[in-house]
Amino acid sequence: MCPLIELKTVSTVYEGAKVPSIKNITLRIQPGEFITIVGPNGAGKTTLLETINGLLPSEGVITVGDMNLKTDGTRIRKRIGYVPQEFICDSLTPFIVEDVVMMGRYGKIGLFKSPTRKDRYIVQEAMLFLSVDVLRRTPVGKLSGGQLQKVMIARALASEPEMLLLDEPFSNLDMKSRSELAEKLTTLNENGLTILMVIHDRSSIPPACRRIITMEQGKIVSDKHFKVMP
Amino acid sequence: MSELLILAVSGAILTGVSCSLVGSFVVRMNLSSLGFAMSHAAFAGAALGLVLSLDPLGLAIVFSIGVALLLGPLAEKANLPTNVILGVIFSLMISLGLVFLNLIPQTAMSSVALSILWGSILGMTVTSVLRLLVLSVGIVLIYWLFFKEFQAIMFSRKLAEASGINTRPFYYLILFLTGITVAFSLKLVGGLLVFALMVNPASSAYQFSYDMKKITIVSPIIGVLCCISGIAISFLADLPVGSSIALVSSAIFGAAVVLSPKRKRG
Ligand SMILES: Nc1ncnc2c1ncn2[C@@H]1O[C@H](COP(=O)(O)OP(=O)(O)OP(=O)(O)O)[C@@H](O)[C@H]1O
Ligand SMILES: [Mg+2]
Repeated sequence: MCPLIELKTVSTVYEGAKVPSIKNITLRIQPGEFITIVGPNGAGKTTLLETINGLLPSEGVITVGDMNLKTDGTRIRKRIGYVPQEFICDSLTPFIVEDVVMMGRYGKIGLFKSPTRKDRYIVQEAMLFLSVDVLRRTPVGKLSGGQLQKVMIARALASEPEMLLLDEPFSNLDMKSRSELAEKLTTLNENGLTILMVIHDRSSIPPACRRIITMEQGKIVSDKHFKVMP
Repeated sequence: MSELLILAVSGAILTGVSCSLVGSFVVRMNLSSLGFAMSHAAFAGAALGLVLSLDPLGLAIVFSIGVALLLGPLAEKANLPTNVILGVIFSLMISLGLVFLNLIPQTAMSSVALSILWGSILGMTVTSVLRLLVLSVGIVLIYWLFFKEFQAIMFSRKLAEASGINTRPFYYLILFLTGITVAFSLKLVGGLLVFALMVNPASSAYQFSYDMKKITIVSPIIGVLCCISGIAISFLADLPVGSSIALVSSAIFGAAVVLSPKRKRG
């Protein structure tokens, strides 16, 4: 099968840093995979995610389908949903939940066009899926950490991505929400969505996940495929 | 006299609109200190223009956009100590401007020279009003066309980029508009305080709403209010118009913070 995303000897150095935060990463991700990345703090997990969607400039070659990240970054990002590790917004932020979820689609809708009824429907569905539809008129600055996390996931889904990059999506969630989110991700994956997720504690890896990548000091130290989760 | 008044008032309305519209972006994107440095650069540029008998407006634009191009890339990256650099640029520009003003021979020119510092209600001409009109219409049009993109960028530039919006052109478009706006506003408000007119009305509007559309409409209304009452005060009390506008807009901001429903508990 032709990989959805391929990284060939990719390294990323933050501006002003002396050593690369990820070094010579080579990785192939097939469409439909559900991958979890684990590793200690500072291992380079976040850096890897932001390198894959081109938010961080890197060396090496990254291709998504037949597109090259260096030349087609903006088009590639329209196909990838991203949920950052922690998103802070101040209490005066002048946007409500509904707006923020819709923003996830703005890139896809494109310049000079307004959201259509179909766009609003998809946004509505994304909010329902994450059970944040009751918060739709709430200013995002007034959400709890866990609520905001769910809104950010709904926002990423609203763009109907082919692939989802999730950076510690469980971190702010209570036990019940964690297992609910794990189930939801499983459903999405069963429907064909490719998922690459960073997680801190291995105990919350969903059973649907079939591949675990371990990172340490900017390198992939193990990459294991499972038929059934151990 | 009445013709002068009409020009002053229409100039004030348009200055209020353009300053507070770009202000709503500048404030939200934490670019206030950059706008601050740009407005003083515009002042220095205009002063140099008066010394060299060149077009003050043209040099004001060159200076303020120059600062934007120099510092925009730094402000884009949060990991550099931009505030220090901006502080240096700001003081450099204001001292350059004052040096240039000193070089202007003490003739009738000096009142024109001082007006780029304090502002003046008598400086408005038909051409300058028309220029402001084109600028205001341009800004409104750009906001209207790209409102979606600006909203996403104002929420989070990083997430906007991640969702497939090419954010850099928009960022520099705003810096460019800010540069032109401060230069065009020099005549009425003056270089020292044009900044207050950019930041205060927008900041006041942010206190009242969670709806970016409303904020984008309300902040120019506040801006116009500040300018009109500033002109009236300056006319009646014979105060520099820049200071009157800054005083009114600060008072409005103070009131907005006190009355803000966003800051109430519960
Ligand atoms: N903005 C930055 N500038 C410079 N260095 C950075 C920056 N962000 C991260 N780093 C460095 O890059 C390395 C990898 O960081 P990264 O955020 O990718 O780790 P992580 O695996 O996501 O850690 P965590 O589990 O704490 O989220 C770290 O050594 C860190 O110090
Ligand atoms: Mg991280």
